Amino acid sequence: MKLSGIRYLTNQGIENIWKNKMMAFATFCVLLISLLLVGCAGLFYINMNSMIRGLGNQNEIAVYLSPSTSQERVQEVESQLNMLDNVNSVVFIPKEEAFRRMQSQITQQGQEIFQYIDDAQFMPDGFSVIVMNNDKIEETTALIMQIESVESASSYPQVAEFLRELRRVVTLIASAVIIALSAVSMIMISNTTKASVYARREEIQIMKYVGATNTFIRTPFFVEGMVTGFFAGAGAFFITLAVYNSVYDILMEQRTLMNAFGVGSIIPFESIINYTAVTYLIIGSVVGALGSSVSTHRHLDV
Amino acid sequence: MVELQNVSVTYSSGVDALNNVSLKINDGDFAFVVGSSGAGKSTMIKLLLKEIDATSGVVKVNGYNLNKLKKRKIPEFRRTLGFVFQDFRLIPSMTVYENIAFVLRVLDAPQKYIRKRVPYVISLVGLESKASSYPEELSGGEQQRVAIARALVNDPQLIIADEPTGNIDPELSYEIVELLKLINDQGTTILMVTHEHSLVRHFGGRIINITDGEVSYDEVIMGSGNELLPIGNGFGEMPQYEPPTDESSPIYDDPYIDDILASIMDSAPAETIEIDEEGGAE
Repeated sequence: MKLSGIRYLTNQGIENIWKNKMMAFATFCVLLISLLLVGCAGLFYINMNSMIRGLGNQNEIAVYLSPSTSQERVQEVESQLNMLDNVNSVVFIPKEEAFRRMQSQITQQGQEIFQYIDDAQFMPDGFSVIVMNNDKIEETTALIMQIESVESASSYPQVAEFLRELRRVVTLIASAVIIALSAVSMIMISNTTKASVYARREEIQIMKYVGATNTFIRTPFFVEGMVTGFFAGAGAFFITLAVYNSVYDILMEQRTLMNAFGVGSIIPFESIINYTAVTYLIIGSVVGALGSSVSTHRHLDV
Repeated sequence: MVELQNVSVTYSSGVDALNNVSLKINDGDFAFVVGSSGAGKSTMIKLLLKEIDATSGVVKVNGYNLNKLKKRKIPEFRRTLGFVFQDFRLIPSMTVYENIAFVLRVLDAPQKYIRKRVPYVISLVGLESKASSYPEELSGGEQQRVAIARALVNDPQLIIADEPTGNIDPELSYEIVELLKLINDQGTTILMVTHEHSLVRHFGGRIINITDGEVSYDEVIMGSGNELLPIGNGFGEMPQYEPPTDESSPIYDDPYIDDILASIMDSAPAETIEIDEEGGAE
């Protein structure tokens, strides 16, 4: 086919959107809703995963030393901690750092109290000990407690285990929901594109009678579906952007509460903006194009 | 050229639509295919368009043996034909110009050629002022003229017209057939399916009558309107006509032809045609 032929068919596809604007609008809406359903489910899952991961990976033992511990002793304790079998890493948390962390996790009202305290001396030095095997975290905690100068060692193995299980269940449910929504969306898209093509079945038959090949007939439908899908993807992206940012702002106001529970934060849209836009546009275009051209198939056998 | 050799078509429902049909339409012929509803006319058209396949026999159109024609070759074959349908079958979303140009675009014709050829064909059917109109803005007769222009634009060897006058006013029907006759005069073979007795009576020519899936009559008769009238001038009173009197002619054996002849008999005779020994008109 000549370049002029390809240009003609592409133009036909674009013109057909306007000429069949009602059906094109119906396809656009169905694609938009489908993309939003699946997209929102996906983003919800990604965020749930991120939040739970903040807790599920709690393989940390917080170790606090007695306030009177000397710097030499602190180094000795660090060496002893590193010698334990199940210990993966040991990070020293000086009292200033512990003080800053506590401040960031305290509510607005609590912050008011801290404005009268500007000295971290009352805080103990400590260590953040990351274990290799979470199943042995209790055992390791007990061993750390036996080390001299260690005031306390705390870990939450049950919570961590519960959250890991929760994450697994959420993954399963989210996957099932996304698959189900994708299937429903595909049926909706398929039916809409079929209806759209059915309305123009005579047009297809006429094309066949004058000797048009299947490719010649399908190409404008393909272009039409792709352009409609692309715009549906763009629409879904902008709606997602607006809704996500609104929800994000609301949840960020509750950040201190979330921090108190130890959950990870909501992913800011800026960090996934490119990924989301590209995914919406590609899926919209591909599904639109394929749905439209595949639906022509049954009318081509003339 | 169209050639059917002992062609039978039996649908999956068990209905025998065509039964051992043999006929040959030579290049440059103009043939009417007549027959009552359900006689097998539509099946024959479908066969010639390669919409369906013959259950047995050989179908040859424009040098293509349709029995052996592969599916991917059907578009190529159809480009050698022109079609005119009762319901016009114009693409509603395209203008008159685009409907006609579409055929050439399918052929991947150069844009320059399309720009020259399409206006020429539009002028042939007298629709220059309607080139940018959409089908819904045209009358039935105008739509059918667009359909004829579309059938003509790729200069086909054969035009198949399936009841082309079925959806238009009777007075315009003559105009449409005149147009087809003019095209035929230029050498294009025309096969026109119709059930309108008056047209057959007026124009005459080769008449193929199909009854119960069989060719019951295939002869040439002279029309009552023996002069071509200019398109668009109306047809006024038709020349008077005297029907044949040879009762032995096979034309009398078929009830459908009887109807046609009865209608001819009704008109006051003024002209005589003679039917030769073989049943053809002289």
